[in-house]
Amino acid sequence: MDTSNTASSPAARKPYGMLALFDSAPAIYEAARTVREAGYSRWDALTPFPVHGLDGAMGLGRSRVPVFVFIGGVIGFFVGMWLAWWMGYYNYPLIVGGKPYFSPIFPFPIAYELTILLAAFGALGGMFVCNRLPMHNHPVFNYENFRSLTDDKFAVVIEAEDPLFDAEGTRTFLEELGPLEVTALYDEEDDA
Amino acid sequence: MTTSSDVITPGREAAASSGGRDPSLPLLIAGIVLMVISIGLLFTGSAADPARPFLGYLVAVSFWASILVGMLFLVMVWWLFDAGWSVIIRRQLEHFLAAFPVIGVVMVPLVALGVAGSDAVAWTWMNLDAEVAGAGVTVAEDVLYLHKAPYLNTTFFVLRFILIIGVWVGLAHLLRQWSFRMDETGDHKYVHWSRRLSALGMFVLALVTTMASVDWFMSLNFHWFSTMFGVWFFSASMRAALSATVLVLFWQAARDDGNGLKGIVKPAHFYLMGCIMLAFTVFWAYISFSQYFLIYNANIPEETFWYNIREKNPDGSLNSWWWVSMVLMFLHFFVPFIYLLFYKCKFGARLKFIAVWILAIHLLDIYFNVLPQKLPSDANILGYEVRQFLPGLTDVTVFLGVGALVLWAFVRSTRRFRPIPVRDPRIHESLNCHE
Repeated sequence: MDTSNTASSPAARKPYGMLALFDSAPAIYEAARTVREAGYSRWDALTPFPVHGLDGAMGLGRSRVPVFVFIGGVIGFFVGMWLAWWMGYYNYPLIVGGKPYFSPIFPFPIAYELTILLAAFGALGGMFVCNRLPMHNHPVFNYENFRSLTDDKFAVVIEAEDPLFDAEGTRTFLEELGPLEVTALYDEEDDA
Repeated sequence: MTTSSDVITPGREAAASSGGRDPSLPLLIAGIVLMVISIGLLFTGSAADPARPFLGYLVAVSFWASILVGMLFLVMVWWLFDAGWSVIIRRQLEHFLAAFPVIGVVMVPLVALGVAGSDAVAWTWMNLDAEVAGAGVTVAEDVLYLHKAPYLNTTFFVLRFILIIGVWVGLAHLLRQWSFRMDETGDHKYVHWSRRLSALGMFVLALVTTMASVDWFMSLNFHWFSTMFGVWFFSASMRAALSATVLVLFWQAARDDGNGLKGIVKPAHFYLMGCIMLAFTVFWAYISFSQYFLIYNANIPEETFWYNIREKNPDGSLNSWWWVSMVLMFLHFFVPFIYLLFYKCKFGARLKFIAVWILAIHLLDIYFNVLPQKLPSDANILGYEVRQFLPGLTDVTVFLGVGALVLWAFVRSTRRFRPIPVRDPRIHESLNCHE
């Protein structure tokens, strides 16, 4: 894989953001807090393992996935009940085992299973939506030291789309956090 | 064997004895007085329903017994899974497990009355000459009883009672002593012993707890049978135990006398407890509904009558138990379920609120499963009346009496032993608990 991001001509690529590399979890924790307090909104922290409390330091809220799960579950429950009602009461009324055409009791397992199934679909789909997946490539992959971010290094990336972003100012700001290095990242040009 | 070698201050026995007046003593005295009064009240049943005080006694003892049984299950599950986060909570449960002998002692009057063949006993099958309500025969002539007689006879009942209490007290005693000894010696062999005991003991505990629910509750309507009943008692016990544990954690976290957990319990502990409470809310509903659903679908009279007497009067109108069952469905399942789905409800005052809520309705759940019985009556063509929902004086005195004795055993244990298992190999995981 060619990772010579800075070597090829930057002119052919659009700027993606500014990356600061750190070599310890406490350092990334402090850096995240400082970046949040500086008011940046489009930025992320990259760590090789989960750092407890980092989401709090970054000011991240709760995941929105539960909303998808809940909506999926509610739809599943009512679809199950509707299915039993439509088939047994409306479309082809049939007495089975001396029970009424429809009652909320006997189709409960169906409604219950569909609740679980659609809630699980909601969890899976919601995870994709919230993480903006599928995403086949990411500009951070162009970073020459990317592989160390999966091993023993930590990074903060502030995106160029952030309203506070300014190539020189952001670089100075990140350098004041005491990182190992600060690098500008570029995105591939959109050929289409 | 590995040991924790850190220097730790000497045992707590000395510190406790020098601490002046024992605050658990008033609880002990109050408990004994209330229980003596309660035993007297057992003989105050009306002529139409002589066993009502007996059932109130049984309901109230079962409330506390269910909490302790759930706690014993929890401790053993945590040993089996080698859980790290729960270690400091496990110690609070170990303090509570000291109360199992209390349950054994307060159950003795009921069993003794049964052996004596008193009219005040609600286990009607114990008296072979008694009339079976609505059937027009005595117990000794009852076909369904005769089929169950090899299991359901007084001698075997007493033997099972001794076995049930013996297993509960024995498991609780061993798990407590090993954990406390690890505090003093730091020897981790006790972890391995506890895990082995839990692996084997889990089966034994499940068996005797099922026996207890069948013998003490299901046999009250001995025509009836349900394979879900033991699991119902387990699921209800787990909900009660988790709620009680949460309340105890709040109390311990606010306690300032050096025996508490001030600054040790983290919000993450409460969050994780809230998650298990949600899981067992769903489990309880699953079990309770499954029992109803199977009986509803099969539609066999030997089974359906159990729900019929909990729904309708002989004239077809809805009776008090219908309202109780609606409370169980909506306030014991739907409300706690939806409530506990929310992240913020698993912390602080909101969690405390739902814990009190679940415990209160858990008591109603025990009433629902224990109290309704057919009573002989000539008032209608069915030949029986159904005992309705109405709390009695005995219920209150036994509830307070057993509660005082259980709390006495708990407070006494918290003064004698450490508030957290300081030399447990996973203590750091628990102290630094994260979501």
